[in-house]
Amino acid sequence: MNEKQNEQDVKLINRREFIKYAAVGAGAVAATVAMPGFMMGNAEAAYLSKLPMKYKDYNVVFVSFDALQAAHVGALGYQRNVTPTIDAMAKKGFNFTNTISVASWTVPASMTWFTGVYPSEHRLTNKFSVFNPPNNNVLSNLKKLSPELVTLAEVLKQNGYATGGFTGNAGVSGGFGYSQGFDEYFFEKGKFGSMGVSIPKGLEWLRKNKDKKFFMFLHGYDMHGQNEPEGGFDYRFVEKGYDKKYTGTPKEQEALREEGLANGKTELRDADVQFWRAIYDEKIQRTDARFKKFLEEYEQMGLMDKTIFVLTSDHGTEFHEHRRFDHGFSLYDELIHVPLIIKLPKQKTGKVIKDQISSIDVMPTVLDLLDVKMPENAAKQLRGASLVSGLKGKPVAKDVFFETDYRQYTYKRGIQTKDGWKLIYTLEDKSRELYNLKKDPHETKNLVDQEPRKAYELEQRIFAHFKAIGHDLNAKQWIPGLNPVYDSQAKGAQKK
Amino acid sequence: MMNRWSSCFEQMVSAAAAVFAMVMFCSPGSAGAAAATASPREKHEYTNVIMISVDILRADHLGAYGYKKGVSPQIDRLAGQSVLFENSIAHSYLTPVAHMSVITGQYPRQHGMVSFEVTRDQVAKRTLPEILKYYGYETAAVASSPEFFMRYDTESGKIVNPKDIFSRSFDFYGRTMPDETGSTRVNPVAALNWLKANKDKKFFLWVETGMLHPPYSQTVPQPYKSKFDPSDYTPFYDRFPIRLGRENVDRGVPTEALFHVYKGNYYLDFEPIYRLEQKDVDFIRGRYDAGVYYTDMFIGELLNTLDSLKLSGKTLVVFHSIHGENLGEHGYFFHHDVYDTEVKAALMFRFPGNEKAGMRIARQTQGIDILPTILDYLQIPANHEAQGASMMPLVNGDEAGYKGSEYAFIDRLPWWEYVLGGWHLEHQSEREAQYTPLETGKMKDYRTLLQEKIGGGQYPPQCIAIRTNQWKLILRQRSKLLEEISWWNFISGTRFPVEMIELFDLVRDPMEQKNVASEYPQVVEKLKKKLLEWDEANQKNRVQTKPASGPALIIPYP
Repeated sequence: MNEKQNEQDVKLINRREFIKYAAVGAGAVAATVAMPGFMMGNAEAAYLSKLPMKYKDYNVVFVSFDALQAAHVGALGYQRNVTPTIDAMAKKGFNFTNTISVASWTVPASMTWFTGVYPSEHRLTNKFSVFNPPNNNVLSNLKKLSPELVTLAEVLKQNGYATGGFTGNAGVSGGFGYSQGFDEYFFEKGKFGSMGVSIPKGLEWLRKNKDKKFFMFLHGYDMHGQNEPEGGFDYRFVEKGYDKKYTGTPKEQEALREEGLANGKTELRDADVQFWRAIYDEKIQRTDARFKKFLEEYEQMGLMDKTIFVLTSDHGTEFHEHRRFDHGFSLYDELIHVPLIIKLPKQKTGKVIKDQISSIDVMPTVLDLLDVKMPENAAKQLRGASLVSGLKGKPVAKDVFFETDYRQYTYKRGIQTKDGWKLIYTLEDKSRELYNLKKDPHETKNLVDQEPRKAYELEQRIFAHFKAIGHDLNAKQWIPGLNPVYDSQAKGAQKK
Repeated sequence: MMNRWSSCFEQMVSAAAAVFAMVMFCSPGSAGAAAATASPREKHEYTNVIMISVDILRADHLGAYGYKKGVSPQIDRLAGQSVLFENSIAHSYLTPVAHMSVITGQYPRQHGMVSFEVTRDQVAKRTLPEILKYYGYETAAVASSPEFFMRYDTESGKIVNPKDIFSRSFDFYGRTMPDETGSTRVNPVAALNWLKANKDKKFFLWVETGMLHPPYSQTVPQPYKSKFDPSDYTPFYDRFPIRLGRENVDRGVPTEALFHVYKGNYYLDFEPIYRLEQKDVDFIRGRYDAGVYYTDMFIGELLNTLDSLKLSGKTLVVFHSIHGENLGEHGYFFHHDVYDTEVKAALMFRFPGNEKAGMRIARQTQGIDILPTILDYLQIPANHEAQGASMMPLVNGDEAGYKGSEYAFIDRLPWWEYVLGGWHLEHQSEREAQYTPLETGKMKDYRTLLQEKIGGGQYPPQCIAIRTNQWKLILRQRSKLLEEISWWNFISGTRFPVEMIELFDLVRDPMEQKNVASEYPQVVEKLKKKLLEWDEANQKNRVQTKPASGPALIIPYP
């Protein structure tokens, strides 16, 4: 391991210290609240204690920075200043530093925000469900969401909200059911679109709807491997001496991912990893700047004080932490640890909340803040819990579950306990990985053999959890394959 | 920004440590302080487990299950201290197959122990001893059935003792040594020594005995061996020996003699040469009972040892039969089918402190329920791979709380003829003493037939049964094939028919003597539907009888 790798590790550890800290226990968390002046001054504590938690008829702007790894966010400990706008909002709002997504790629992860159920339940677990060349090369898009499910946009629409979604397409394409409940849902077919396109569309819509109460979903692939900045990279963070083996194109990114899937690992030099992180940082910084402009225009419309902001990401991305590249195929921290910032209207002072929570808690939280109830027929739908009590300082830490069936390449299910244990169970070969995140934040030492009881009990928790939500994992054969994820990979295939 | 953030971070960490320390020392109600005082302990922290597995034991030959001959006083004493299950059903008629279901909670097709030549990687690993090891148990076994420790290596032609399927999770895996008759099927008395040496450990001890296996009474010493013989009796097989000039030593009822008996006749050279009388049947059953009696003496010794070591109060004792035995009720003396004689098992749980002693549970339960019950009692989370359900609700009087199936499912897996063709006929060269020259000559054709019809384990699996406490339905979709390859039809030179569907009214006809399928077509329909649903839902592993590659290690059987 060379110096650069060490530097990398330092950064990762800093992020992980949050979890370590949170793991000191609920007692310490409770004590934080009881000790004004610990995290904030007395004045701030007093301010927060008086902050209202009901915002009936307020607006919501829900922003997904697709594929933003938690480790690259300043407010979550990243050293390079690439997210000043996001960090500023985190400072004013509630910064959930241990938010774990339910999945490690866009299609399954994002729909959980909008339905409050796990991917296995909303069933958007694969983009193409059938593709077995050469005999059965038919692509079958998952066009419809389970008809019993009610989406966040639908609930808000029923409550009189104008609803608009402005996205980069692909994983959150309207074709998968993401447009359900939106008056207007923007996605450009065939694109991994950026906020450079979705923000102007969103602002246009806002100008027409700013006098109504509204729910806006803003999304872009600016940071994603399949997006390239308009006008190309300026390589602002790339080390001068880099030999330019890579240039940062989506094609290179895709090739690295496919190599990792095919061989189980990707051959990359440390310098290449540094390069890719530098490229990533440039993308993040550019996106942050775009978001800054959006906020400026938003402010000019006089909407800031009437709006709840939710900033998050659907999943992270891997830069060789586990010898592979991109995302979707595993459930390690670099893929499922995401930022989550909730800023309330007029909120001036924020708070860091270290309790481990899940992306499945976002929808109940938004509804709780807006004082909106689920329709009667969907009252039991939400699997998560409102985090509003957490905003008030009560402990909300929980054990969380996650999953991926990425391209049917693998079928993984996982649990991460609030005291820092994590088990990943791979269904197709019944292999298990157990990590003690407190001691091993990088998930490098599989403790299955050293801690058989812990592994056994967590495995039972995973299976019990999925059984409880109607998915008996033992009732199915899990046969791995490798379905295409992009149309370009499915050459010769026909769409059905 | 960076500097400010990281210094804030350091403050957070040090402050957190301070707060935590404060809470630890100042607040008696905190989690830290609570851990120091005694919390209610879970049963797996202090409860030993002994599983006593008796192979070939028919429940209805025990006093506790209504047998009148008084052959099991010690087991009956145990029953009086236990909760007894009157209708526990094994999933197969074969020892390793049925027992793997008990220790994994899975149907045979799921656990993969579906033939006598599978390799360790084909079989489920998470067994009862494996799980108990996770919870800090010392695990020990003493087994006497060679099925559990002996293999025939098809490459070297030698008998080997591999560390594999059944032994892998045991810290100590003991076996019995052959007695003067050459059989290892003796009482596993080494278990008593292990107990004495390890009484202070938290342990799981598996005590297994195969003494009841044919040749009946082979390893039972006199005077017990002939204790239940009819008076003035000479065995028919001594009067009509298979081969002349054999040494005349009483080694129990020889397996080869039993292999020549079908539906009341003793066949030699494919002709019925002797019609068995009641006295002959009584003799065979008496020799079986002699085995039960001598086994029972050992069980008594085991229970007394537990008492004298003061272990009884903190030890869960599970007593069960792995499977039963047909003692002529369906024409043969052996275990080779899915009748109640073979699959109805004894089952008792003696809980520490003799909790619920004397309770009898009539509700039908299955072998796959035993593992979940033990784990439930010990307060260990159930294994999701187990297909059975804890019977503790039944023990606690909550019938509705028992989530087990109302049906029991039995698999004739592997087909007995397949097992026979594998070791008995193919790999053992010393059969001459056991068959007549004419039989030995024709046996080659029979072997060829088996090879052609069901060789390589690629036989059709459809030989399955479903059971309730009232009905038993047996479905043999390839009944004609079974008829064609039947050993009994071979040895008798006759073509006895094999029914495709058999339905028995177990209340009126517990020995399953009269097929009433034509009288109750609706019952047949309903049970058949349930059975086929189960068959469809449990497809896996049902024909993976051979290792994918490499040398085969076959359990030398029978």
